[in-house]
Amino acid sequence: MTEEKDEKGKFIVERKYVDDDRIIEPDKLEVGGIDISGRWGTLVLPRTIEEFDTSIYEKVLRLPRGKNIGKCWQCGNCTAVCPVAHAHPEFNPRYLIHIVKMGYRAEIDRLKEFVYLCSGCGLCSAACPKGVDPQGAMIAMSIAFKSKR
Amino acid sequence: MKNLNKESNDKVLVIGSGPAGLRAAMDLAELGIHVLLVEKRGELGGAPIRWKYHSLAPDFTPTEQVLGPMIEFCEKSDLIEVKRNSTVAECIGEAGNFTVTLNTPDGRERKNVAAIIVATGFEHFDARVDPRYSYGRAPNVIGINELEVMLSQGKVTGHDGKVPRRVAFIFCVGSRDRSTNPWCCTVCCGVSIKQAIELKQLLKDVQIYMIYMDIRTIGLWEKLYWDSMEKYNINYIRGRVGEVYYTGEKLLVKGEDTLVRGPFEVLFDMVVLAVGIEPGEGTRQISKVLGLNVNEYGFLAPKIPNVHFDSGKDGIYLAGTCVAPMSVEESIAEGSAAAMQAAKLMNRIKVRA
Amino acid sequence: MMPSENSFVQLGENEQVEIPKEDVKLFEKLSTDRRAKLAMGTTEDYLRMLEKMKELEKKGEIIVHHVEEDYKPQVVKTLSNREKKIPTEELWQHKSCGQCGHIPGYISALYWIMSELSIPFVDDTNQTSCTAWNYYGSGTSNSVALSAVFLRNMHVAWEKNAYPLIHCGTSYGDYKECRFLVVMSEDIRLKVRSILNKIGRDIVIPEELVHYSEWLHVVRERIAERRKLDLSQVKAAVHPACHTYKLMAEDYTYDEKILDGARPAPTSSIILALGAKLVDYSTWYDCCGFGFRHILTEREISRSFAYFRKIRPVVKETGADVLLTHDTGCVTTLDKSQIVALAHGYKETVPVISDSQFAALAMGAHPFKVCQLQWHLADWKPLLSKIGIDWQNAEKEYKEYIEAIKKGMKPSFIRSAPRKLQPRVNVSFAG
Repeated sequence: MTEEKDEKGKFIVERKYVDDDRIIEPDKLEVGGIDISGRWGTLVLPRTIEEFDTSIYEKVLRLPRGKNIGKCWQCGNCTAVCPVAHAHPEFNPRYLIHIVKMGYRAEIDRLKEFVYLCSGCGLCSAACPKGVDPQGAMIAMSIAFKSKR
Repeated sequence: MKNLNKESNDKVLVIGSGPAGLRAAMDLAELGIHVLLVEKRGELGGAPIRWKYHSLAPDFTPTEQVLGPMIEFCEKSDLIEVKRNSTVAECIGEAGNFTVTLNTPDGRERKNVAAIIVATGFEHFDARVDPRYSYGRAPNVIGINELEVMLSQGKVTGHDGKVPRRVAFIFCVGSRDRSTNPWCCTVCCGVSIKQAIELKQLLKDVQIYMIYMDIRTIGLWEKLYWDSMEKYNINYIRGRVGEVYYTGEKLLVKGEDTLVRGPFEVLFDMVVLAVGIEPGEGTRQISKVLGLNVNEYGFLAPKIPNVHFDSGKDGIYLAGTCVAPMSVEESIAEGSAAAMQAAKLMNRIKVRA
Repeated sequence: MMPSENSFVQLGENEQVEIPKEDVKLFEKLSTDRRAKLAMGTTEDYLRMLEKMKELEKKGEIIVHHVEEDYKPQVVKTLSNREKKIPTEELWQHKSCGQCGHIPGYISALYWIMSELSIPFVDDTNQTSCTAWNYYGSGTSNSVALSAVFLRNMHVAWEKNAYPLIHCGTSYGDYKECRFLVVMSEDIRLKVRSILNKIGRDIVIPEELVHYSEWLHVVRERIAERRKLDLSQVKAAVHPACHTYKLMAEDYTYDEKILDGARPAPTSSIILALGAKLVDYSTWYDCCGFGFRHILTEREISRSFAYFRKIRPVVKETGADVLLTHDTGCVTTLDKSQIVALAHGYKETVPVISDSQFAALAMGAHPFKVCQLQWHLADWKPLLSKIGIDWQNAEKEYKEYIEAIKKGMKPSFIRSAPRKLQPRVNVSFAG
């Protein structure tokens, strides 16, 4: 029984392409006297980005080691040399900087825990052609993510 | 080559008075060669004057500093006969002895010239043809040419008169696209970024997003790209826009952010389209009159693609954006190159005569 | 100046250039060409197919069912400015499985309109399903089988001397594809011919594939003349079906006077002709979410998509009173998906009906006996009240009508006006 509960949206054939957070599968739902609990009442929320919420970007810019992330042009040199990225696809310094700069709230919420995987090796900052200091950006982001909204 | 009479012996026809045409006319006049400068519009200067370029990339050089002296020279020089509001309707003859018929405000005129330089320039892509961006249907959607005019006037507002708080620049409109124009306009990236910086200088609080496919600020223009991000906080979204929808108040820009691999639909106050360079009506018409080859894109085709001035026809030389998209500095250089070829021809004629 | 040879072309606001007249034509043609080019190579391919069809007819390889004068055709333009003939009379009703099965009001409204306009038609029982649901939903069937079914139906229509009018967007899309295949591929043509010969038929290809919404578009003035209700306060939004205008975009009707030719003309034009307010919303071009395969294996996504991407924007942005569409799957999805979201607590809802039902209501058709709105899930009561139909009374009438039928009364049928054309007899085939 508990397995079924954890496996929400399991009837969706291409389930692995749908993020967990977007699936709303109510345990109990009825309409006009008809029971539509479970899969008959499942809704999948859209994933369209609707706004640039730059509040976290502004916070990161104010922190000493985050002040250069405005220079990032998404070349990917940092991720290319990052040892953590080899093991953990969710830790992608270039992408983390991108979603913070663009203010994509949903992506930030999804990935913010992963910023702590940074090993602090500094290879990224050495490889960066623009002087973004991605290693410092990771530190700044970890602080910014924790601070109250 | 025939023996020529006195009149045709020392006149070169320059068609078009943009940077290329002006430079060619100037160089020839400074060599003592007579020039007949024919311009279809009422004023000289070509695109930078027509669209009132505020400044020229990459260093924000004021347009007057570059174009002013050339226009003044051509207007004042005794050796340059300027015909405004005129077009070339017919041309017969050969190198050293062309007879051209001009349509001028005073009627048709027949002239004898020894050589012809074609510098008929370009037109901006008419974004009404690409319905994705609602250009011409929705307010506050403008082209980079229209933004340039507003920047020179020091006042940027939408069609509704309001100052925009959030602006999107969409790159590659009418270029790099099989359904509109397949070529790259080379300068739009740099020009758009230049304008974004000038816009930020004018409206301090404006948020600007550049929605691009690639950033092609080649050579020394790269500085514009770096400065825009590092000094002016301009944002870049790698992606494409599928539709611009007018909600009745704002513009909903719908596209995909490639790096997120996901769709965005965000409201903007103004959308600026980087409308590309394409061969204009003037170029099309002149190719017919002079019997010049045109490539698959509609640009004038030189005999060898890497040698622009050689049209393949003796005595007719090509210069500037009628051959391929290029910057103002490159057009100026091509004007000089074409003038050199015309001057060499005049020399050969003089020697024989 | 030699004015008779030259013309002025406007370059910008105050700019003109004088060029010879023949070059002006070239300049203008470029604009239409460009619009067609935006549909990429598909426009050129389609036009090439139409040329090939003419060639095959000339060689005697196929028979083409022309839109002859007897069908009283009207001419419309397509994406590339090609002229398309839309027959207006003596139509062979190519019915839709989904409509007959789930939304009967869709076609009974269409038949009723034709009957009101005294337009003769053939409601043939000898029609098979196009089987395109199979094809789009699960890739079963194959190009030969699909084409054979297509041409079988077309042959029946040709024999009856009535021009096929396709009710369903899915059939229309499938038939566009099959016609392309049969004309361009000799291999498919041979295989299909052998199948048709087995059942005593041969290849007859219709000159034009006509969707019923295009028919409504060309007769909209006649419908508007018979309008009985005041629709001036009604805000109607349009949802266009993917298979009508996206699949083989070159075939569908575009009109420079309707929405500046930027969008297909049908459905929008009938709203304008009936005097209602046509409203626009940000996701006009989006699919309804039906997706065929999607509604089978990802129905949760289909229903969510239909609600969040179509219904919600329509209601939030326009406050529309009705959402009109012209395809079976679209009406079904958009209508039936709203209920789940409403159960979750979302508030936005809008009735979804077809353009034929809307036009019939405007002409005074009974909302239940003819338009069969009782099959629709999203609440249509506010719409009916707004256009002045006392739906409670109509409901009572309908219940009485049903009771009377149960007691043995014969139901009323919508019948065609008497036909003027005779069916073809003694048809013979080449090989």
